[in-house]
Amino acid sequence: MPRALKSPTGLIGTVLLLIVFTAALFGPLIAPYDPQLFHVQARLQGPSREFWLGTDQYGRDLLSRLLNGAPATVLFGLGATVLGVGAGSIIGVIAGVAGGRTDSIVMRILDGMLAMPELLFTLLIVSFLGGGTAQAMLAVAVTFTPGMARISRSAVLSVRTREYVLAAQARGESQAWIVGREVLPNAVAPIIVEATIRVSFAIMIGATLGFLGLGAQPPSTEWGLMVAEARQFMFRNPWCVAVPGLAIAITAMGFNLFGDALRDVFDPKRNH
Amino acid sequence: MSYFTLTRRHVLMGMAAAATLPSVSFGQSGTPISGGTLKISHSTRIATLNVLSLSGPAEYPCIDMLYSGLTRTGLDNQPHPDLATSWEANEDATEFTFYLRDGVTFHDGTPFTSADVVATFEAILNPDIASSARSVLTMVDKIEAVDDLTVKFILSAPFADLPYSTSHANARILSKAALEGDLSALDTTANGTGPFKLETYDSARIVRLVKNENYYKPGQPYLDAVEMMLFPDLAAETANFLSGTTDVMLTVQQAAYARIAESAGIEAQRVSSGRYVCIVMRQDQEPWSDVRVRQALGLAIDRQLLVDIILEGLGRPAYDSIVAPEIEYYTDKPEIMYDPEGAKALLAEAGYPDGIKATIVASDRPAIRAQTAIALQQTAAAAGFDLEIKTMPHDTYLAEEWMKGDFYIGYWGMQPTIDATYNLLLTSEASYQDTEWKNAEFDSLVAEGRATIDPAKRAEIYAKAQELELADKPYIVPFFEDVLTASSEATKEWKIAPISRFYFVEDVWLDKA
Repeated sequence: MPRALKSPTGLIGTVLLLIVFTAALFGPLIAPYDPQLFHVQARLQGPSREFWLGTDQYGRDLLSRLLNGAPATVLFGLGATVLGVGAGSIIGVIAGVAGGRTDSIVMRILDGMLAMPELLFTLLIVSFLGGGTAQAMLAVAVTFTPGMARISRSAVLSVRTREYVLAAQARGESQAWIVGREVLPNAVAPIIVEATIRVSFAIMIGATLGFLGLGAQPPSTEWGLMVAEARQFMFRNPWCVAVPGLAIAITAMGFNLFGDALRDVFDPKRNH
Repeated sequence: MSYFTLTRRHVLMGMAAAATLPSVSFGQSGTPISGGTLKISHSTRIATLNVLSLSGPAEYPCIDMLYSGLTRTGLDNQPHPDLATSWEANEDATEFTFYLRDGVTFHDGTPFTSADVVATFEAILNPDIASSARSVLTMVDKIEAVDDLTVKFILSAPFADLPYSTSHANARILSKAALEGDLSALDTTANGTGPFKLETYDSARIVRLVKNENYYKPGQPYLDAVEMMLFPDLAAETANFLSGTTDVMLTVQQAAYARIAESAGIEAQRVSSGRYVCIVMRQDQEPWSDVRVRQALGLAIDRQLLVDIILEGLGRPAYDSIVAPEIEYYTDKPEIMYDPEGAKALLAEAGYPDGIKATIVASDRPAIRAQTAIALQQTAAAAGFDLEIKTMPHDTYLAEEWMKGDFYIGYWGMQPTIDATYNLLLTSEASYQDTEWKNAEFDSLVAEGRATIDPAKRAEIYAKAQELELADKPYIVPFFEDVLTASSEATKEWKIAPISRFYFVEDVWLDKA
């Protein structure tokens, strides 16, 4: 971990993530106003001493809404990634360990799924399941599954023929023990790196779905939805679009830079 | 005089207007110049041109250009002559005779006769054919062609408003041949008698109409062609309009209205209309069965605030009646001020001293439903209503909540008459009765009003009906929304009726030097 902080990208990523996680953990507590409270006399205002980031079309404080929406937005990204990575890794490990025919069939199906653009695939699932946060999260997870399965399978394949695995097999250990104690711990690094970077994609797709009206619904403070709701008022108060938009960008960038730094740390070829 | 006062007035008005429809002048002057292509931008798809059943906001201007009706609703919300030059009724309003315009031809050249009128109205009344106008014509028993240019409607019950019903936007005259053929052809083709003919129909992009040289108004339409251009993205639509790519923006969003109106060379119009959002409270469900609870919620909503923030001031507060001031026989409604303390007292009296917790459902389309719910949640909180908002996709709402749920947000367009307004929603047998109000006295008043001919007596009856509506508060109606449109300076005589179904594009001309 300390090595991740050494590179400038890692440092920036970590700092951004710290900000985001602070907002997600304590945001609703430190918000200066109720995020749903109307300030009718102060609609669509720019930053002021009273409203640090300005107000939206109902005169709701943007900073409070942003802080309130942070947990939902970050949890969406993490939740969708955990689900997608979980399902993908299980499928990938099974395919990698089993090998042969099972491997071929599973991978060809996943190849088919991968052929579809990620956002299109998500939209397809959401229009099938209907809008809403839970459905959107599930859709993103399903979209992530084939890619993650591919990565975990290749990680397993590269480990499977290593000497320590062959040694374990020679000792007559059970298949489950070998997978759990020898293969997985050594294959987990690339999966973690990929998952970290994927969180940023999940947050962006979540915001996109919210923006298109297929994710969170009003009066939720989800950031993508905030951009969508405020878009009509962009010309009257650019802040109400810029603030949630920037928040999404910062969060996505934080996960991305941090993931990059992690990859550098885990990749032995890049050391020295 | 064989026809009664109401009709006579309309006939006289109609006669005077036969040559040129009444037009509200916006200080534009000069002789109309012929030629040019009018480009109208809109943001909703023109999914069909089937005049019998369509209902899209951008579909109405198309059929208004392609077809004519027997009568047509003017900017004054009254029926005017269209294919019928005049009409009369017998004393008890059970028989109406329409005299048709001579020498009118359909776009394909076949002459228009009474047989087409009979075929059209028989199709509208045929329960096997989907048609939106049937609900206002149910009392029609028989339609007879007296001769080639005279049609007689025989009604099963007296109905003074028949000329309003024949001007229903979906009751346009189709040719007999088209109705005898494959009806699905109506979706993409049109053979009407209107001022424009269909040239291109591409529902995903553009609908292009060209001038009908044989339109019955001499010298009109002035335009060579009209293009209805689809812009699914509002920002793109506004940008194209402001840059002059399009001449008319069919509907302007409230949020963008001030910016568009302020732009140079743009004429923005705001027409008071009877479009409203209503809060549905089902009366066979607790706690809405208690009129005091409904009154309390009425007091707990800050109407002026809703007009200011949801409509950007482009509308008027309403006071819990679905009858808009534009509708004949409207009575003034007492103002209801925002009074959370009064609402709390009423709630306590009704047995809810600690307030009420409830979930209000709003569909996600159009956005005004959820906006109203959000504003209601805020203003009603001070009165002890703890409301949770549940938004859902519009299709889910229609399937699961609408006309079933006990507390949700409705949204309705304006109807031309008080009879149509009440029979749509509030009478026990109304088409979309969703409050379970079912007041026998109100029903009989509406039925009596429908059969009464004397306008003074009708006014009295409808005043009583509106009193009943106010006393029992079946709906909370917080505001009436204005219709907003905009046109470029070079576009002359672009007008829009409050009911936003009629556009009079044959009067429009382009002053492009």
